Amino acid sequence: MPRLETLSEINRQSMRAFPCLEPDTTPWSPLHKPLSQAKISLVTSAGLHLRDDQPFIGDPKGGDTSYRVIPSSAKPADILQSHVSIGFDHTAIMRDLNVTLPMDRVRELVETRIIGSLAANYYSFMGALRNPKPLLEGTGPEVASRLKDEAVDLVFITPT
Amino acid sequence: MCVLARVFEEAGITTISLAMVREHAEKVKAPRVLFVPFPFGYALGKPNDAQLQHRVIGAALDLLQREQGPVLEDFPEEEVPEALVQASAVTRVAAEAVRDPADEVTTLRAFYERWVEDHGGRTAVGLCGIPQRRWRGVIRFLESYSRGEDADMNERPAGVPVPQFIRYCVDDLKAFHYEARMAQRPNVSEPELHRWFWGETAVAQLIRALAQRMNASDDPALKYVANGLAR
Repeated sequence: MPRLETLSEINRQSMRAFPCLEPDTTPWSPLHKPLSQAKISLVTSAGLHLRDDQPFIGDPKGGDTSYRVIPSSAKPADILQSHVSIGFDHTAIMRDLNVTLPMDRVRELVETRIIGSLAANYYSFMGALRNPKPLLEGTGPEVASRLKDEAVDLVFITPT
Repeated sequence: MCVLARVFEEAGITTISLAMVREHAEKVKAPRVLFVPFPFGYALGKPNDAQLQHRVIGAALDLLQREQGPVLEDFPEEEVPEALVQASAVTRVAAEAVRDPADEVTTLRAFYERWVEDHGGRTAVGLCGIPQRRWRGVIRFLESYSRGEDADMNERPAGVPVPQFIRYCVDDLKAFHYEARMAQRPNVSEPELHRWFWGETAVAQLIRALAQRMNASDDPALKYVANGLAR
């Protein structure tokens, strides 16, 4: 997005006031194999899900901290967005899913052998969470453990 | 959402993340973050620009070379100005006769179908779960609700409250209109799209009326939904 100093006063205040976690340290797990042998998964906060899955639900208090599983074999036509925010331009993803969830792009990187392979599943959360605690203690670790079970080496995280 | 990077990395999985708000990314201190100077909704740059999307991914993959973190790097391309125009910024074009939103849907259907055909069956329509041949009923339900009546639909899933169901119906109507317009005018710019929708369509007028009714309520849950319809 444009840097905060270029936003209108009201948008800037809302971005500044957004509750962020402010830890002192950073967890660090470097990739222990060449990228060309690594298995990649995508995780997004764009509120995406399969067409026949349950849409995300808006919640004024904390937000919807659930997640949806999207098989990496899914086609763009299978995927819908139910993100609660209208603070972003929804027409971009209507035109091209890859602008938010770069499924075609990572597949191309696997085909050209830059990346090793695609994970079985991608995962979507919905951002704009005012209370990330249930995510940090519940659904986040749950998805981490699924990614481990699916032998994922590298996760590419995209917002909207 | 960079907090997820921390959770995964703590579990031993390597992550790279894109960030739209640099100031938030600085606070969260996720391991490897690429700040992208694009508007919200455009994380990978531009729709249908595979080269730009690959440059973004490539810049994010480059962060894997770093030996310690947190790493917060700026994607070295020009900022893209905001293209989103909200309802409140658009003045309605006075129409000589107010159209019926249901007739408007019928008028746009051929364009919408062309969009779906041109995009391999892909459409953002589908949240309310009601087939389009029954949308006249959806519109009557929304009109009735906007007039302050106690409206509901049999198709509403049990776990979805009426205001949230209205949100899904509205999102479907918006997507239908936007996709129809993009099929009709393939080179339309985003600001033109939003100005057309909020300024000239009968469906947008209905959405404004729905938001108005919800905003007039004292219930914060209703005001919250209203804020996601039009603002």
